[in-house]
Amino acid sequence: MSERKRTPLYAAHVAAGATMVDFGGWEMPIQYPAGILTEHLYDRRHCGIFDVSHMGRLIVEGPDRVAFLQKVLTSNVAALKPGRAQYCMIPTESGGAVDDAYLYMFEEDRYLLIVNASNTDKDLRHFAKYLPEFDCKITNVTDSYSSIAVQGPEAEAILKTLSGGVDITGPRKNDLGEVQMEGHTVRASRTGYTGDPTGWELFIDAKDVLWLWNRLIELGAKPTGLGARDTLRLEAGLPLYGHELGTDPSSAEIPIFAVSLARFAVSFMEEKGDFIAKDILASQKDATEKRIVPIALVERGVMRAGMDIYCGDRHVGWVTSGTMVPYYVFEGDTPTDRTGKRSIGFAYLDRTLTESDSIAIDVRGKHLKAKMVDKHMDQSKPPYGRAIV
Amino acid sequence: MNYPVDLKYTKSHEWVKFEDGVAVIGISDFAQDALGDVVFVNLPQVGDEVTAGETFGDVESVKAVSDLICPVSGVVCAVNEELDDSPENLNEDPYGAWIIKVENVTDEEELLDAAAYEAFCAEEG
Repeated sequence: MSERKRTPLYAAHVAAGATMVDFGGWEMPIQYPAGILTEHLYDRRHCGIFDVSHMGRLIVEGPDRVAFLQKVLTSNVAALKPGRAQYCMIPTESGGAVDDAYLYMFEEDRYLLIVNASNTDKDLRHFAKYLPEFDCKITNVTDSYSSIAVQGPEAEAILKTLSGGVDITGPRKNDLGEVQMEGHTVRASRTGYTGDPTGWELFIDAKDVLWLWNRLIELGAKPTGLGARDTLRLEAGLPLYGHELGTDPSSAEIPIFAVSLARFAVSFMEEKGDFIAKDILASQKDATEKRIVPIALVERGVMRAGMDIYCGDRHVGWVTSGTMVPYYVFEGDTPTDRTGKRSIGFAYLDRTLTESDSIAIDVRGKHLKAKMVDKHMDQSKPPYGRAIV
Repeated sequence: MNYPVDLKYTKSHEWVKFEDGVAVIGISDFAQDALGDVVFVNLPQVGDEVTAGETFGDVESVKAVSDLICPVSGVVCAVNEELDDSPENLNEDPYGAWIIKVENVTDEEELLDAAAYEAFCAEEG
């Protein structure tokens, strides 16, 4: 076993009383003393900050950078303009996912590719197989270049206090920017993994990241651990590698098009040309045997990843992610102080099933009624993301 | 961490208090802290037979599910139904929020006193 890695904020997490766990080879905070439910609710109502410095940050540069990325990613890299980011998958030769990733174009002559922490080494080995055909270079800058996600209704006000009122990025999702914050250069991306209508991910030199973390807390943001990061992304309907991407509980590869986000992540534009598993992916569109869908438990209990799902006596799939997630009760457009909890998750289900089919989850021997839903959260009314209960 | 001296404890982190031959059972402060936010408690029913060392229900936190292991054998004579709507009571008041009461107690697990249990928890970290 190699020693677990630590981000530059490790000591700050420990000092704040965080419970540290092993996450993809990194020692990361799963929760702070406030607890997962409180952290989740604070993010939805105010502003949560997340140390995402463990995620793999790779610089791709060189004359063939576009051709290389077109080959190994599913998105149309040529369509990405400076100042914009795009979501993409890293496909296997058989049409599954090596990983999912975000590609950023802060500068004309290079790309920043962000991958899952637990997959960084695997992704680099995968890329190395294709790299010799191209005149380009990948540099892992994870350790020198840190990252904090700042999410929730109060994120913009807090960040604009630090930027002296200057807009952090443009107003659209996936807009990028570079701003000065109290003498520090910070790059920002209007992206996130919480589903909050407003949120940014910030990039800063590793030596300055503690300063930024502490200033964000002084301005009212609250540290949020991996536990709440998981409940927030689940409520937002965002997939997680190892659950909705990768392999299913029977160890079979999950086809990329089983995930609905594939529609935005995979391009068959002529401009993109050939890429890994292109033909297989084209044949997957709307045709995978199973698909990943959001589900909610109707009866009392908690669904968990790996539980079997039945329609009558027929085994129709599995829960891929599931837990109990808190929410605010709204009156009109305003959250009240009343909260609730519900068990929601994702299921990998036979494509033929529809919302009118009755399904049940085997929760440790008891079959509890569940339902397929369109989504768990309404993200269309800023600044609040609100639960659809 | 709090270890009241009038209670006995199991190595699976339940507490038990004997009141007029009835065993009152809950989970310890150490257990609730390790679990994090408790979001669901799966309770047995009054009249169920329970066996020392065996599961009588489970507690779910956001992170995971943990079995509740019965410190005694007997018959469930009361369940704390408040936990259906307020499972967080186990976090807020672990020694006030009992889970079940058991009567006709015929057997009990190896139980630790507060000092021995505190030492056991210190070892578990």
